[in-house]
Amino acid sequence: MNPPRPRPPYPHSRAVVLTPRISGAHDLVPDDVAIMRRMAQGDDRALGSLYDHWHSLVYAVVLRIVRQQKDVEDVVEETFWQAWRQASRYEPSRGSVATWLLTIARSRALDRVRALTRLREESLESERAEEVAQYASDSDPAKDAESTERRKIVVEALGELPAEQREALELGYFGGLSQSEIAERTGQPLGTIKTRMRLAMQKLRSSLQVLHEEHP
Amino acid sequence: MTSTGMAHDDAREALEALALDALDASERTVVLAHVATCTRCQEELAQLRETASALAYSAPAVAMSGSQRERIRARLISRAVADRGTDAPVRGTMASYKTPISGVVPIEAGRVSRKRASSADGSRWIVAAAVLLAVVSAGLLMKTRTERDDAIEAFQLASTEQRLNTTVFDSLRTQVADRERLIANLTGPRVAMMTLAAATPTSPSARMFWDQSVNAWTFVGHNIPAPRLGRTYQLWLVTATRKISAGTFVPKENGDVMVRATYALAKDALAAVAVTDEPKSGSAQPTTTPMMVATYGSR
Repeated sequence: MNPPRPRPPYPHSRAVVLTPRISGAHDLVPDDVAIMRRMAQGDDRALGSLYDHWHSLVYAVVLRIVRQQKDVEDVVEETFWQAWRQASRYEPSRGSVATWLLTIARSRALDRVRALTRLREESLESERAEEVAQYASDSDPAKDAESTERRKIVVEALGELPAEQREALELGYFGGLSQSEIAERTGQPLGTIKTRMRLAMQKLRSSLQVLHEEHP
Repeated sequence: MTSTGMAHDDAREALEALALDALDASERTVVLAHVATCTRCQEELAQLRETASALAYSAPAVAMSGSQRERIRARLISRAVADRGTDAPVRGTMASYKTPISGVVPIEAGRVSRKRASSADGSRWIVAAAVLLAVVSAGLLMKTRTERDDAIEAFQLASTEQRLNTTVFDSLRTQVADRERLIANLTGPRVAMMTLAAATPTSPSARMFWDQSVNAWTFVGHNIPAPRLGRTYQLWLVTATRKISAGTFVPKENGDVMVRATYALAKDALAAVAVTDEPKSGSAQPTTTPMMVATYGSR
């Protein structure tokens, strides 16, 4: 029997890390973990840094889920407020700051949707097109250059998935539906939905290998 | 099979859905129970959660308007500042002295109790009400709002011109948040206002605003003479059992002064606020007769 391999310092050291990376701007990227430490110590300027770094992505996700502008602002604020209040609970070994923050944002957004009992009747795709048309004038792709490349990679990776697998992912992540609810929504057997979701995640994970990086 | 009743392979097959938060409640409980005991599944789940979070990048890239972005930011910073204040009762320029009242202190606890304050017992704390004070709150509020608006405008201008000077931005943002906070401290629904009376010929005037919701104290004074050489003024919160320093101050040349402090005090505990003349380094307890005083409830 071979001796066990030594474990890396971070259990998720090969995980996809959502820290924006753009050529020539690496040094400008704030250290999210350091920001979290400062927040945990009560440094309100660190909260400002976290907000400056991630508000665009958080806003996009919340808008995608909530869809109502007047609710989006509240949810974005509550997302960062929860991050402030729970900063001391963040553990780097369990995932990146981005994943932690996006988990909060998604959860708060879904809570808002559920609270308002706004059930989605239209297809997610048609809603998305409507949102983009409504707020396109506020878009500033240049400013979001750091995430544009990453966005492109993710969208392309999703585009490579069969439509039914992509639908399963989106209904789960953005729609907040369980596998049983997706099965009911789509009229497919639960086992089929489980398979689609699993295969989709495996392919997506493989496609996003290009985003992998080692933790320091 | 683990002690939780789910085989590793079965749990592993459910990790993708768990990472997406798409498992049904009952299954989620069982899978999480296995993950809690399985290092391999914990590592795998951490990686899958990063993959799931990457889906966020597929949301349409829609930017907030500048005003919306800064509005949220200002609210967050303001809330964080207030929240930070509640974690530690004493901040800023305020110092709390818990030294018991000593014989050298001219303030006796009983004299400043809220119910007794109006009695004519000869206390030096109860100054004749003949000296009415200039109204400062309206002017102060207008000035603060103007400063806030100016700061917002300056920030937006700086943003428009893309002057990526982080120091300037942070300073302006802090200024906006600070003015927002001050407005709230002066006008909030739980703000108590006390007018300090004085009997000196120069007729200094002052008011204390106590925002009980965030334990914020804002002292605003006018026409206050410069302290004597080597002396300073000291602001006190007086309870039935002690005098708590809220900081020392020296007014500007025109006699204006503002002192802000954060201190948690039960609503019923405050008997009075007072200003005394003290050595430049301040005192642990008042050592002179108050030059200005307000009993809580006299407003």
